[in-house]
Amino acid sequence: MTAVLQVGSLHAGYDKLVVLAGVDLEVARGEWLALLGPNASGKTTLLHCIAGMLVPSAGSISICGCTLRQDALGAKRHLGFGCAPERLPGLLTGRQCLEVYAAAKALSAVDADVLALAEAFAFTGMLDRFVGSYSLGTRQKLAVLLTLLGEPALVVLDEAFNGLDPASALVLKRHLRERVSAGRCGVLLATHALDVVERYSDRAVLLLDGRIARGWDREQLAALRAMPGEGLEAALAAACAPSQGQ
Amino acid sequence: MEVPQASSLPAGIPRGLARRPHLAATLLRWRNAYHLRRVRVLSVTALALALVVALLAAASTSRVLEWLAGNPVITFAISAGLFGLAAVRRQARMQADAATSWLAALPATRSTFTRLALGSAAQLLAFALFVELAGVTGGISASAASGVVLVTAIGAVIGTLAGLRLLGRAAATSPGWHYASVRHARRHWATAPSLAPLSYWPLAKGRFFGRPKMTSRVVLLTLLSIPAGLHDVPGQVAIAVAAGCITLVTLLSLSAAVVAIAGEAARWLAPTTIRSWTFVSAFVWRVALKQAAVLAVVLILAGAVDYGQALHVGVKVAAAFLAASCFCSAAACIWACRQAGLGAAGRGA
Repeated sequence: MTAVLQVGSLHAGYDKLVVLAGVDLEVARGEWLALLGPNASGKTTLLHCIAGMLVPSAGSISICGCTLRQDALGAKRHLGFGCAPERLPGLLTGRQCLEVYAAAKALSAVDADVLALAEAFAFTGMLDRFVGSYSLGTRQKLAVLLTLLGEPALVVLDEAFNGLDPASALVLKRHLRERVSAGRCGVLLATHALDVVERYSDRAVLLLDGRIARGWDREQLAALRAMPGEGLEAALAAACAPSQGQ
Repeated sequence: MEVPQASSLPAGIPRGLARRPHLAATLLRWRNAYHLRRVRVLSVTALALALVVALLAAASTSRVLEWLAGNPVITFAISAGLFGLAAVRRQARMQADAATSWLAALPATRSTFTRLALGSAAQLLAFALFVELAGVTGGISASAASGVVLVTAIGAVIGTLAGLRLLGRAAATSPGWHYASVRHARRHWATAPSLAPLSYWPLAKGRFFGRPKMTSRVVLLTLLSIPAGLHDVPGQVAIAVAAGCITLVTLLSLSAAVVAIAGEAARWLAPTTIRSWTFVSAFVWRVALKQAAVLAVVLILAGAVDYGQALHVGVKVAAAFLAASCFCSAAACIWACRQAGLGAAGRGA
């Protein structure tokens, strides 16, 4: 499997605060990687670095072979990044947001796949309403649709299931799994939803104190899922305990 | 259900802007804002036009414009400075926005230069129209108007280009970050239930409204309205005017802060059982106290110059201002309570 994302020795922070202190990460095409970590551990910072929204102080990020530092536009052509729902423009309609994104990605039309997902989300009725009138869940649906436009090789999502109703969340999980299984993309999902990690992702890593502290592969996740009791939740709590106690 | 048709996709976006999502989104936002809030847009435009007419009719406008026409070097310096500052600020705002924008991860240009140039061009066009109108209505001669416009335009171009180069990439990282460093923890903070901390909210917002960057602009504009050499204005009067401006901005910022955030505070507390008058008093008292303190200091200083006037005029003006400010603040809070459904006054009660 080819790597769609390679992150090497990434250091990043805000002013004097160091948030990421040497993160190494790789996501292959056809792989769903879950990024776990306690609050303020740097998950969103890492995703913002990958999306080119935050300039890291050191390290390298490469998307489908294009390094973000040297060929930002080339790298972003392969990237689908889920923006925060509250950042969507309230004065544009959902359709206009799709139009702007599609035009910026040089598409002649919105992918049929994305339109089918919009139908499955029961979102098409909301297309001509202003984003400002959307609920959190509806904004989240739009953010997901924008992310998946243009068949990106790397899909990066930050808490994408926040606010989604159970039916829509299930639709999204299945849709992403289908894309990943078909080898159309690799998914990097930052989440606290452990059921998604246990049931759908291929691998999970724990970000702690600015570094990848632990990883679970497919077999280990399957073993945790089969364990009676708390499974991944207990394993995660145990891994985080020394750090949070400091 | 209707599904967006493939052929209709880029229809809403002008062809030239297809690969410039920031410009396309801004254009669509303006268009939507006009359609959605037509009355508000037209009202603001009408108000702006009324202000322009009033300014054109004022005698001091002609004097200022004539002075600008007679001092092209200073006009150029003012224009270059203001447009340069505007360019720096606009660019800083764009960089801050780029770090969190919904368009940040797109493989497309940010159109920084075009957006900057468009902003500066719009400001220059508005000023040029104003000056030419003054020329047409006889406020100043047509040749003087053309001269002012030309010098201002040259200053604007040079100022904008200088502003573009000044900021560079300095602010490219880390705006809007959410990791707050705690400088020192207050003892017993948030351990006893109290509404007192609520009063710090409008105070902090008022400090933000009246920050030096804003205050300096008001002082600068006020001082510019006293053209040197035209009147016999002694230096101490100019200093007194500047000090008065700073005081007034401080006082008005505090009142404006209460009005601006009363709604947000009421919405935040709406699920609680707090009564509306308790909310009003908790929210407003520290602002009123600070305004009273500022006015007291001003009165003492004025008393040192002219005790009688300070006592007879100053106290009355200060008391009237304080009363008006308290009334406005309380009215804004009560209205916010009603809107949010907070306390007994709420719509939902």
